[in-house]
Amino acid sequence: MKLGRLSAAAGFAALALALAACSSTSASSAPEKAADPEARVVVANFRAPISNWALESDDAYVLSIAGCLETLAKYDQGTKTVEPMLATSWKQSSDTEWDFELRKNVEFQDGTIMDAKAVTASLNHVLKATAPARAVNPKTIKKVEALDADTVRVTTPAADPLLPYRMASVNAGVLSPAAYTETGIDPMNHCTGPFAPVSEKAGQSLTLDRNENYWDGDVKLAGGEIRYITEGATRATQVQTGEADISMSIPATSLAALEADKQISVLKADSPRTSTLYLNNSRAPFDNVDLRKAVTMALDLPAMAASVYEGAAQPATGPFAPSEPWANPDLGVPQVNIEEAKKLVEASGYKQEKPLEIIAITERAEFAGVGAIIQEQFKQIGLKANVVTKSYGAVEPDVLAGKYDMILSQRNRMIDIADPIGFLQADYSCEGGYNLSHYCNKDYDELINQALVEKDEAKRHDLYRQAGDILAEDAVNVWLVNEQAIDGVGSKVQGYVQDPLTRYVLTKDLAKIK
Amino acid sequence: MSPLATVLRRVVGLGAAVLLSSFAVFLVPFVSPGDPVRALLRARMDIGEADEATVQAYAEQFGLHDPMLVQFGRWLGRFFTGDMGLSHISGTPVADQVLPAIGVTLSLAGGTLLVAILVSIVLGVVSATRAGQWPDRLITSMTHAFIAIPEYALAPLLVLLFAVRFSLLPSAGYDSPASLVLPVFILALRPISFFTVAVRSGVRQALDSEHVLAARARGLGRTQALMRHVVPHGLLPLWTMVGVWFAGLLGGSVIVEVIFAIPGMGRLIFDAIINGDIPVAQGGVVVVVTCAVLVTGIIDLVHKLSDPNVRIGVRHG
Repeated sequence: MKLGRLSAAAGFAALALALAACSSTSASSAPEKAADPEARVVVANFRAPISNWALESDDAYVLSIAGCLETLAKYDQGTKTVEPMLATSWKQSSDTEWDFELRKNVEFQDGTIMDAKAVTASLNHVLKATAPARAVNPKTIKKVEALDADTVRVTTPAADPLLPYRMASVNAGVLSPAAYTETGIDPMNHCTGPFAPVSEKAGQSLTLDRNENYWDGDVKLAGGEIRYITEGATRATQVQTGEADISMSIPATSLAALEADKQISVLKADSPRTSTLYLNNSRAPFDNVDLRKAVTMALDLPAMAASVYEGAAQPATGPFAPSEPWANPDLGVPQVNIEEAKKLVEASGYKQEKPLEIIAITERAEFAGVGAIIQEQFKQIGLKANVVTKSYGAVEPDVLAGKYDMILSQRNRMIDIADPIGFLQADYSCEGGYNLSHYCNKDYDELINQALVEKDEAKRHDLYRQAGDILAEDAVNVWLVNEQAIDGVGSKVQGYVQDPLTRYVLTKDLAKIK
Repeated sequence: MSPLATVLRRVVGLGAAVLLSSFAVFLVPFVSPGDPVRALLRARMDIGEADEATVQAYAEQFGLHDPMLVQFGRWLGRFFTGDMGLSHISGTPVADQVLPAIGVTLSLAGGTLLVAILVSIVLGVVSATRAGQWPDRLITSMTHAFIAIPEYALAPLLVLLFAVRFSLLPSAGYDSPASLVLPVFILALRPISFFTVAVRSGVRQALDSEHVLAARARGLGRTQALMRHVVPHGLLPLWTMVGVWFAGLLGGSVIVEVIFAIPGMGRLIFDAIINGDIPVAQGGVVVVVTCAVLVTGIIDLVHKLSDPNVRIGVRHG
């Protein structure tokens, strides 16, 4: 990995600025026309609720994008800060205690008051789940209690500066007490958001009406519909035909058709997912850092992004996307250097007796092509590899047990909270619960442990950057491309702000012209 | 065989089919690589990470640590009391997911077969009565092509043409009769080709049969002979095929259901198996098998009633 070259730094700083500029893009079609107050917007969503609206599951994301579910705090993608939502403020009363002051006079859509009792019950419901949420679970939150009618105290097991981020997770959403029934969660008219769910067609769609009493002011749309369309090409077609006004997560294969359509705006933002060639650091041959560096130098990442991903992804510079505040702007895309890579292979002393195995998981169809390219580029440095395609579920036990050479997979860095600490801890620390690369470095762990309790955001981000530099320097894995969130938006839609973390779509400011 | 014995035999056959097929589905996670409990958690939360305590607690809640036969016996016991159990992912009754899905699939399969039957009767009769001539050759070529075109290739083409280019039909969904036009058309192509061959063959045989020749000799017109003797007789092989195709469509229209976002049975069972949600997969299979056996029985009856020899026998009996 080459660092510090002025020209490269300048180039990538420019790239980072460009990416940062588009990291929260919006569609502002036809601003000269007045919004239609009777308009309804149809959203083709990639996710369907499957867990009976359990808030500890990913179903919470559907309720959040629908403009129903709200949280005490909200992470603003533009300012990169946690801001008030159902709570107006919060303070840390001790290392482990946080007091949230609730917004007054907020009503649930069923007319009941949102008070500390309701919020406490809602959060405790998630904490008691058999399979608790990643951001809100008994390991991260010890207790939630009402101090008075308007104050909720959240107690953590240890000092946790990220608690407000956890309260901004969709899994920490607040529903009216009436939503919790004996047969599961009933979200109909039980949220606080700008839109109230009024009916659902099982497996098909959720219909919402404007919340006339929304606490944050007037809602521009009369309502909306969230359609559950898991097939990417179908979502792309829906916005092309005008059946949907917004289609989320457009696949790369449909990008060209949408970009050619003048009636559609295609919005792209860095998503926190990086396609990665995981290397098994715990056994030969990739327990040798020289060999890991050699394979990094062998791969032409820009060509891969342009070909397999059809330009819908950016070549990765390291474990983070350049637009993230904790990314090292001096890290560049690893340069192809076949001669140097050959020398490193030689220096590693590795004598290949049989081909290495690259597992391409079938859940991501493009990995078969990526694997084939890697196989070819490895040949140039004298490494033989075979690509095998398997489902992730089938290989997970072996990968977790360290019985593999390489696996092509991808990972969301900002799992439920807009901060990478969970990812850095689980995926790369010595005791990490999801350390697929089986990497262990005490210096790295020390940095992560410091970050876990660091209250100052700038200092914490600096610790993340240092940790990322260690991962890059040790060439733990080959981070291939940073994936992009791509949404298609019809020309009649106004005020749509793309959220790369896929939490907000139907907002009070979303509008549509006739 | 007496009618009672026939009914009893059908009921026993249905029970055996339900038991065998549900046991086969039950075996899937036990013989598949990977951890079924982690698969369940992955379905709820799109991530591989699940700590051991969560995995254990989840397995405990649904009794997934019990031996395979104990779990199957538990399901069987519930089933005989009319309970299909709870989904391992949503925790809701399986029936709440299966019954809406079977309704969707019945409409899809029914529409598909209706279209296929009507089209194939026309094509088969024309092909048989013009055997060796250009209409016959054209129809034969067309039906051969229908077999060869895969659904996943045809669906995007038709969507591009009828939904994107001409805005005539919806591209996906299940909320109006128009939304079923493309899925039904795509699903109908293969049965049309098989049915047409069957009708052609049946009609050809009927045309050459002695009783039709005798009827013509008695002065019956060609069209009358065709409608009264040839077509009914020629359709006999069709009904058996319809039953088989119906059973296949109930669970086998996964690709079309995914492409057109139709919340039907094929997709439900497929997703349930992938996610390791065995109660839903079993409930789905039980309903599909039951429907298939019932429909096959009805088709048998139609087959018998459609047989002119049987009807003559009934009249004279």
